[in-house]
Amino acid sequence: MPSRRRTLLKVIILGDSGVGKTSLMNQYVNKKFSNQYKATIGADFLTKEVQFDDRLFTLQIWDTAGQERFQSLGVAFYRGADCCVLVYDVNSMKSFDNLNNWREEFLIQASPSDPDNFPFVVIGNKIDVDGGNSRVVPEKKARAWCASKGNIPYFETSAKEGLNVEEAFQCIAKNALKSGEEEEIYLPDTIDVGNGNQQRSTGCEC
Amino acid sequence: MIETELHDLSDDADYAASQQQGSQSITRSDSGRRSEPEGAEVVYMKDNVSIHPTQYMSERISGRLKLIKQGDSLFLTWIPYKGQNTNTRLSERGDSDRNNLYTIRPLPLTDVRSIRRHTPPLGWQYIIVVLASGLAFPPLYFYNGGVKEFLTTIKQHVSLVRSADDANVFIVNDFQDPLQKTLSSLELPGVVSVAAQSTNASLVASSSQVNQGRSDVSSYDSNTGSQSLRRQKNKSNDPTKDLSIQVLEKFSLVTKFARETTSQLFGENSGDPFLSNEWKRPSHSQSLPDLQSQPSTNDLEEVPCEVPVPADPMEFEKLALVWGKPRQPPMTKEEWITFLDSEGRVVDSNDLRKRIFYGGVVHELRKEVWPFLLGCYDYNSTYAEREYLRSVRKQDYEIIKLQWQSISPEQAKRFTKFRERKGLIEKDVVRTDRAFSFYDGDDNPNVNVLHDILLTYSFYNFDLGYCQGMSDFLSPLLFVMEDEFEAFWCFAALLERVGPNFNRDQSGMHAQLFALSKLVELSDSPLHNYFKQQDCLNYFFCFRWILIQFKREMRYEETMRLWEVLWTHYPSEHLHLYVCVAILKRYRNKIIGEQMDFDTLLKFINELSGQIDLDSIVRDAEALCICAGETGEACIPPGTPPSLPIENGLVSSQLEDEVL
Ligand SMILES: Nc1nc2c(ncn2[C@@H]2O[C@H](COP(=O)(O)OP(=O)(O)O)[C@@H](O)[C@H]2O)c(=O)[nH]1
Ligand SMILES: [Mg+2]
Repeated sequence: MPSRRRTLLKVIILGDSGVGKTSLMNQYVNKKFSNQYKATIGADFLTKEVQFDDRLFTLQIWDTAGQERFQSLGVAFYRGADCCVLVYDVNSMKSFDNLNNWREEFLIQASPSDPDNFPFVVIGNKIDVDGGNSRVVPEKKARAWCASKGNIPYFETSAKEGLNVEEAFQCIAKNALKSGEEEEIYLPDTIDVGNGNQQRSTGCEC
Repeated sequence: MIETELHDLSDDADYAASQQQGSQSITRSDSGRRSEPEGAEVVYMKDNVSIHPTQYMSERISGRLKLIKQGDSLFLTWIPYKGQNTNTRLSERGDSDRNNLYTIRPLPLTDVRSIRRHTPPLGWQYIIVVLASGLAFPPLYFYNGGVKEFLTTIKQHVSLVRSADDANVFIVNDFQDPLQKTLSSLELPGVVSVAAQSTNASLVASSSQVNQGRSDVSSYDSNTGSQSLRRQKNKSNDPTKDLSIQVLEKFSLVTKFARETTSQLFGENSGDPFLSNEWKRPSHSQSLPDLQSQPSTNDLEEVPCEVPVPADPMEFEKLALVWGKPRQPPMTKEEWITFLDSEGRVVDSNDLRKRIFYGGVVHELRKEVWPFLLGCYDYNSTYAEREYLRSVRKQDYEIIKLQWQSISPEQAKRFTKFRERKGLIEKDVVRTDRAFSFYDGDDNPNVNVLHDILLTYSFYNFDLGYCQGMSDFLSPLLFVMEDEFEAFWCFAALLERVGPNFNRDQSGMHAQLFALSKLVELSDSPLHNYFKQQDCLNYFFCFRWILIQFKREMRYEETMRLWEVLWTHYPSEHLHLYVCVAILKRYRNKIIGEQMDFDTLLKFINELSGQIDLDSIVRDAEALCICAGETGEACIPPGTPPSLPIENGLVSSQLEDEVL
């Protein structure tokens, strides 16, 4: 039986309402930012073709509503995820503090087979705001948290300016692919995804 | 609620007319035989066989029923007379179009699964022809008698056996096409007896004009409704799970009915591509070419030029629009005045709600009418009382608003819940309908008003607080009401109904999604089974529809129209769930045909946004709702939002609990 995972990579974007999940997804897939996006209700996803070493994959990026009240729906959407992106707003401490909740909630609801090694990627968004002057979460602090959770790759982005978004998603896609491979042992190992987690926020060496 | 009106057909004034028409057409019938093509023999012909395309017995299309033998095959035709006046109220289409829609073109008896005979003690005999595909033609009333003769004639040419389960059902057992044989034996739906059946019939009847003294369902025999289609071949279906056929027959009896629509809404088996195609191709095209090619001028029935059954699904859908009750233009100011007495009371709120249900109101009236629909004003209140209430409410609003306005920055620092709530609202109002002119542009003051109302509401109803989706509800209310405090009170009233959508534990949403799944199971069990098989029974793909009542699925104006229609609670307070069913049914063939899985389905549903035709969906929803009747309501657990507005001091404690 051909495996769905060979071509489809499922990515879930989580984080507090308003941190920019929908904007990030649209910036990556459609290369645009709009002030007219509506708050996400329920869930939606966008797809994008990505290529690694001559092989095409469909990245399926899921965007859900961020308010806590809607978290119980997650179970229907998180299933079968290959990678989870945790987004916070560098201008909001609360949204950063909540990353831990989002991570745990995801692990409970998606119940991946190997929770300890399930790939996450963290994004600190809205670095453009006020020229960085209203920033409240220091990069160091964010990186420290990522390191403590098993070296989660970390990126800082602006969905509005399109800063670093492509790089972040490249890393997300690679991690999703890696995750897919580990589960599908019969998938030929043709992709070198490396395993370093020391990348700077400007690139993905993951 | 509304009284059922059962009338004997014999006091139908139309009766005389029908008698007359009958004799006329008989005169014409002799030469009819000669117009048949070579090699085809008319073995049975009956004039003045009629269908009733609506629930009004006075609306009738009369025509000629024939059995034609060609070679070894027997065909049935029913062709309406040309140019007859069908007394159609609010007819949207030309009569010829309409008649054409109901015409039964040569139909091989091999396509027929069964014929049910109804011989009620009062009223006219009629038959219902059920096709192998599970679809049924509307009942054919024999105003000149002749049902027995009709069945006898069929029996002379094809095998016709009386059903063991129901003596009034005759099963045509002459399958020539092996494929068809297989299909019909595999896919026969089970039929169930409905406890509330007679009530259903009366509900249907009550939907007709109250002043329509002649509306008549007496000929509907509720006892035969349940069992007749059950056949020995049917083994796989749980009888409690499939009402479609029965519902369909009931439908064909009392409401506007089009074959095409039936296949859309009640398409038994229509997950099967064979069957959906079958409708699109004229079934006689290969089998009886000479009949088809007869120039219509030679045919005394003078059937208007045949419109080919469209193969294009879009065309197909347009045809399907003859269904439910025609929508009306929105209620005007002049009409509105007539509903009020000299002191400003709404004299007959049922009538008003009904009027609004069928057409909405013109935009300029919304500001005046919406507060009634939402329960902000009592229908019995006078101008003076409302004026007084307004002034009280204006003050009340300011008092609640002051509660948060008086929070100092110092206090806010120590008030996390407030800051979070405010932050959430701030983020959402700038994402609410910004493409709509009333809210567009930088620093639009209306956006701030949205913010203030939402924050005030979160103090007014501190337990519920603010939840995403609320700003979607508020936006049209503010646009219509203009005044901040009036928009607030309308919003508060609306949330008395839909507030449970935002319950922390999502219980309100789960209740509605559950009810929706039950309604789909009731009205389209193949679709239900499909969702089950695809693990889609949580119906999360309809989440957005229900949470904000289709706000994101339609243009702004259409949303306002749909909402005022839903708020009438006219055929049901849960009409929005039937709207969901109607949309799903409209796309059921696509969903099943393309074997959509959960993800694909969700995407598909999300992308329907902007593509839903409001009027036809509301008509479908109305039809489904009336059709499902009490059985449908029984699918919806008590307390499912929108809970009943409190009326006449009658408060159900259960409902009260439900509103948080
Ligand atoms: N300045 C700035 N604003 C952003 C950025 N990303 C999103 N936003 C704004 O933040 C708000 C929330 O964005 P959205 O993508 O809807 O957030 P979501 O709730 O996480 O999906 C919107 O008003 C966006 O315009 C960003 O990178 N920079
Ligand atoms: Mg979003």
